[in-house]
Amino acid sequence: MAVSVAPKAPAATAKGSRRSQRGGMAIAQRRAGLLFVTPYLIFFVIMQLAALVFAFWVSFHRYDLLALDNPFVGLRNYARLTINEDFLIALRNTTEYSVVVVILQTSFALLLAVLLDSKIKGRNFFRSTWYTPSIASTVVISMIFLYVYHPTGLLNSILGLVGIHTTEAYLQSTTWALPAIMFLNIWTTAPTFMLMFLAALQDIPKEIYEASAVDGAGAVRKLVSITIPLLRPIIFLVVSLGIIGTFQIFDQAFIMTHGGPLKATLTVALLIYNNLFVDTGTVGVACAEAIVLGIIIFALTLISRRVIDTRIEY
Amino acid sequence: MATALTGTDDLMAPVVADVAAPKKPETDTTERVNQLEVVLRYILYIIITVFLFVPFVMTVLSSFKTSAEVIAFPPTLLPSVWHPENYLNVLTQISGFPRMVFNSFFVTLLVLALNLFFDSLVGYAFARLEFPFKNVLFSIMIATMVIPGFVFIVPRYILLLNAHVVDTYFAFVVLYFVQPAFILLMTQFFKSIPRDLEEAAIVDGLGWFGIFWKIILPLARPALLAMGILAFQGQWNNFLDWVIYMTSPNMQNIQLGLVTFRGAYQNQWNLIMAGSVIAILPILLIYVVGQRYFVRGIATTGMK
Repeated sequence: MAVSVAPKAPAATAKGSRRSQRGGMAIAQRRAGLLFVTPYLIFFVIMQLAALVFAFWVSFHRYDLLALDNPFVGLRNYARLTINEDFLIALRNTTEYSVVVVILQTSFALLLAVLLDSKIKGRNFFRSTWYTPSIASTVVISMIFLYVYHPTGLLNSILGLVGIHTTEAYLQSTTWALPAIMFLNIWTTAPTFMLMFLAALQDIPKEIYEASAVDGAGAVRKLVSITIPLLRPIIFLVVSLGIIGTFQIFDQAFIMTHGGPLKATLTVALLIYNNLFVDTGTVGVACAEAIVLGIIIFALTLISRRVIDTRIEY
Repeated sequence: MATALTGTDDLMAPVVADVAAPKKPETDTTERVNQLEVVLRYILYIIITVFLFVPFVMTVLSSFKTSAEVIAFPPTLLPSVWHPENYLNVLTQISGFPRMVFNSFFVTLLVLALNLFFDSLVGYAFARLEFPFKNVLFSIMIATMVIPGFVFIVPRYILLLNAHVVDTYFAFVVLYFVQPAFILLMTQFFKSIPRDLEEAAIVDGLGWFGIFWKIILPLARPALLAMGILAFQGQWNNFLDWVIYMTSPNMQNIQLGLVTFRGAYQNQWNLIMAGSVIAILPILLIYVVGQRYFVRGIATTGMK
């Protein structure tokens, strides 16, 4: 989970004077500081930096986990992606999935947070129960929704109660399988972002609302013209976390549909897994796919930063 | 009367709020409007609660049914006969289930312990100590947090494979002994602690590790609890890494085990549901008991 960055401590000058006061302390402090950050340094150098360089290196080779010789192929792995039907299907599915889920889960999370940011009785009860979907694992959620989407499962039982009788097998339908997974992800993730929005809402000074009430602003006006503009930084955070999460959708598709039916739920992450473990000689392709995925996510995050102007004007 | 309305921000009743806007001192109508609004609000809240909570209730109820009754048509709400022995059957019929429970707890607690110590140690250095390349390293940490995890999967897998760490518990140590998001969380917390305490300790001649261990860590309890809960949840619910880095049947956690079991016995709905309840239970307990710390942790650390 990413976190907003606090502004740098404005204590530079104070530190300077303290250092000159106690010369010997500074050396001990430098030594201690370097020693204390060593665990992260090791992690960064091996698990991040070396891994990233190695990822690029592998993506330029025809790589096989068992082969002794992995020939250099330049950009061919990348070039092949543009004509690889599976990759294009996966990319389209993943993009569709991400757009729908990010928009709906952000809106739903904001709605939940606004509802909770009031003096209503039982507020803590509602907050606790609403958050529950977010504590369950993707596996448990997938198991629950395999039952929900079963032809005679919870969803069709509820539909039966209101007079709609169907035994649709949602996860076996090329029309419904992807929307079904979208829905369960919105249901699971919105409560997480609800908590983030709620914390931000409680930071908004109440005087701003009081001033607007004097002007006679209605509740929707207040939400649109005061709350949402003030929440822009957190909306950006929620949207970018949403993009990062949804573009890497793997667990639910792997567990519930394995990418089917007829590749209707094939995602880029699933394809990377298949290229790494199922197919042979495609490890380089898997790396190229992952790097392209990373670049897409990065670009979309930048674009959403542009769109959601994160500066606040009071 | 108007103040009662301005205190709320109910977007469901804009008309009501507009009607009740100032210059309408007829307390009679506004009071009635208020009551209606409260009722409407509660109906909305209850619908949302049902929407978000009922699948869990049905899962628990299903775990006590026979597998046929779970997906029976027409459906039943309560089990016609309660079958608590389903939970016993999970232990006996899902092969290797005790081992899965052990794996889940062992790896989760191992990663938790490593992160409690290392993330706070690194976070303390970033928050309080002056050393070369500190700001560069901190910026690098923030920047690399946005790299999607899937970019690292292939190279890390090959790396771990060549180091013969794949399919061992040690893989989780290598992958998770520090987690940048938690380092950031601790850094922000430590920045909020007043410096006076350390100044006194410096005079007392405690070394930097002594200050960290004896003075700072005890103060960091709320942040450590918040981080611990998040770390526990993250690792307990981990599925992806077990699929990627573990290969033998012995090296499955509850999550992967459930998926494997479901793959082999698609129709054992009652056991799948009972297994799901077992898989969520530790997290649910921690959530119920630790919620106070959890929410407070989010507030005090500024982690939003």
